[in-house]
Amino acid sequence: MSGIGVSGSGRFLRANPLIATGGVIALLIVLIAVFAPLVIPYPADAGAATHPEMALQAPSAQHLFGTDQVGRDLFSRVLAGARVSPVVALFVLLISCAVGISLGVLAGYFGGITDEVIMRITDIFLAFPPLLLALAFATVLPANLTSLTIAIAISWWPWYTRLVRGQAASVAGRPYVEACRALGIPSWRILLRHVLPNSITPVIVQVSLDVGGVILTASALSFLGLGAQDPTPDWGLMVAEGQNYFTTQWWLVTFPGLAILVTALAFNLLGDGLRDVLDPRRVLIR
Amino acid sequence: MADDILLDVRDLQVSFGPVRAVDGVSLAISRGPFGIALVGESGSGKTTVGRAILRLVPASAGTIAFDGQDVLGLRGPRLRAYRRAAQIVFQDADNSLDPRMRVGATIGEVLIAHGLAGRGARVATQVAALLSEAALDPALASRYPHQLSGGQRQRVAIARALTVSPRLLVLDEPTSALDVTAQARILALIRRLRDERQLAYLLITHNLAIIPGLCEQTVVLYLGRVAESGPTSELLTRPAHPYTLALRSAVPEVDAAARRSRIILPGDTPRAGSTPPGCPFHPRCPLAIDVCRTTVPPLQAVAPGRQAACHRAADVLSGLRPPGAPAQLAGEP
Amino acid sequence: MSPIKLEIRDLRVSFAGHPVASVPELNVNGGEIVGLAGESGSGKSMTILAVLGLAGTAGAAVTGSVRLDGQELIGLSDARLRAIRGRRIAAIFQSPALAFNPVFRVGAIVSRTLRQHGLSAAEAAARADAGMRSVLLAPELLHRYPAQLSGGQLQRVAIALALALRAEVLLADEPTSALDVTVQAEVLELLRELRDSRGMAVLFVSHDLAVIAELCDRVAIMRAGQVVEQGPTGQVIAAPRHDYTRELLAAVPRLRE
Repeated sequence: MSGIGVSGSGRFLRANPLIATGGVIALLIVLIAVFAPLVIPYPADAGAATHPEMALQAPSAQHLFGTDQVGRDLFSRVLAGARVSPVVALFVLLISCAVGISLGVLAGYFGGITDEVIMRITDIFLAFPPLLLALAFATVLPANLTSLTIAIAISWWPWYTRLVRGQAASVAGRPYVEACRALGIPSWRILLRHVLPNSITPVIVQVSLDVGGVILTASALSFLGLGAQDPTPDWGLMVAEGQNYFTTQWWLVTFPGLAILVTALAFNLLGDGLRDVLDPRRVLIR
Repeated sequence: MADDILLDVRDLQVSFGPVRAVDGVSLAISRGPFGIALVGESGSGKTTVGRAILRLVPASAGTIAFDGQDVLGLRGPRLRAYRRAAQIVFQDADNSLDPRMRVGATIGEVLIAHGLAGRGARVATQVAALLSEAALDPALASRYPHQLSGGQRQRVAIARALTVSPRLLVLDEPTSALDVTAQARILALIRRLRDERQLAYLLITHNLAIIPGLCEQTVVLYLGRVAESGPTSELLTRPAHPYTLALRSAVPEVDAAARRSRIILPGDTPRAGSTPPGCPFHPRCPLAIDVCRTTVPPLQAVAPGRQAACHRAADVLSGLRPPGAPAQLAGEP
Repeated sequence: MSPIKLEIRDLRVSFAGHPVASVPELNVNGGEIVGLAGESGSGKSMTILAVLGLAGTAGAAVTGSVRLDGQELIGLSDARLRAIRGRRIAAIFQSPALAFNPVFRVGAIVSRTLRQHGLSAAEAAARADAGMRSVLLAPELLHRYPAQLSGGQLQRVAIALALALRAEVLLADEPTSALDVTVQAEVLELLRELRDSRGMAVLFVSHDLAVIAELCDRVAIMRAGQVVEQGPTGQVIAAPRHDYTRELLAAVPRLRE
């Protein structure tokens, strides 16, 4: 994104409301995650504290989001959750991208045996429903956030390999790549500087859409006891735990659910905007 | 004589599956300054010959020798060294530059990959020098390809090819996608580079009009085979093959005085791989006789320095022209 | 004196206030080929689109007058334009493959177009046949899919369609630029045929001055959206009055050294 100086940013953001909105919200979430301990009204509630006498209170001035089934302030827990679910999603996506994109680019560019081997392995992983696969791995690993992250990542990377491989194969056939070969540029350089940057765009958009998906998968696993454990303030876990109270104490499910929604939406918008920005053909408003 | 030859192609064959795109093509490129034109329409295999010379497509048979050394068997560092000696400029300038890289970076990359780059800021100077040589403003180094005109893009592609100081340059339809004024500038650039760098080049084109003044020798291809070859001026003024006759007569001329009667060839240029028995040109040839339908005419000398693959080459050379048939019409209104 | 088929006056095409093509005066008579020559960005293709009434779909604003046999086309409703397009004014473009939906057989596209303009199935078949013969193509080729025909053949089918519709005016936008030179010679010959035997009025757009010089009776040279010179072809080429015309002519490569 070189070429957009600080002075040009204001106009840029005004001309691109999508990126602006998504970016602002995402930034907010990041800030909350970073500064959580300073912002949370009842820090202990984000942890192991329980106040059974204050259980299931409706939203009020002292408890903006009400309290949960063991009396913890929901607002605090939701804010603290910004350090949990999005971070899990971040690491899952980082690992999946690293593995998935690398394999996809290699398969697409080299073709032949490399392509066959990589794609057949990918197909094997893809044959399993993601949740089931993550479940399988989660059961053999100790139940904590790290295992959760690894389990989901293992089931997530094949999708990116598929996505990237098609794009990489298409780029590999383009005249400018052929020109690079004719110019004697070594393959690793071609892969890194030409194939990779030109194959990544579909992944970026997909990743932004996946933020919400990963959080939900994580919540399902946590609900089954295979990931985050109570009292960790994982949004998904909170939604799962609050299900039974949905009709009467609606706030238990609604606020964590909204947090997931807003996070997913923010990254979605950001991803859409990023794709446009990364296309050098787009006339940038300076 | 043999010492003069920079690139020697003998009986080259290139197949894509069952389709034989190049079927026994031989040509010799002398050391620079020298230009040879490879002329043909779609299905002639001319682009494939260019790519085979640069090892971009594998040859199925034949030999290619550069400076006396075999090219087809090169691997590893020796292949990379060959890629410094022989370069190619593609037809499609719009797509032969990475759209995500600035022009300067595209050229700089070649310098770096071949270890030719100076340290730090020196690269920028080298890039600027190459851009200027291709008649481009060095300030364009910071632009993206889509911000340049078609002619400028093609000149960047030429500058990029010159980065490694090649001795042989293959130009694959370098001006086909350009406006006529941009084309004129590129052709002038090629002429200048030829003199300044003692360049030898293979000009692949379907447009006969750009050849005079650029290429001393011309080779005409049809369906993967050489139809005729020889010195350009002789070949164009006194063709020895009916296809050359038709090709030449089909070229539109701006000057009324230069217009000649048209030979209209029936049918369309055939797809590679659909070779008929006998002479590949006989289905469309206005001078075909019985032997043409059964026997493939060998490429043989018809005059000093001139070869043609036609059973009636001697007659065509002497002035035999297609009879006045409904298919032939005069171009004058 | 052939009747004036197409009369263009003060035609101005602009995008968001920026003018892209401006033609003060241009006539195309029956039995005549008029050329619009220029490089990319000269506005010649936009002019064709404007005459067809399609410039609006590209987002352009069109003012001025285009008369077909005296009838004003600018400002006509879509429905009236559709009846005229194809039927009275036919168009062929640079990439014939783009004009044919690859999912349908060529014959199906041709007959559907003919029937859309009011012909019965039998009439459509008869005219399609006749049209194909006029362009020296075997009518059996109508059974093929576009991918099975070469560029030259597809272009000739497009012309055959124009003939079948009995179009009076043919707009041709770089119809031979993507064709091999020997095939181009064939298509150009065909266009001359149409002019001579059917009295068609042809507006031929090209960046290739040599083709224009050979084919067109009169020519208008365009540059950056303006017409810089126009007149009988022989005159414009032999004695150009505008510097740009001279520049263009000087840049055309000559076969004779």
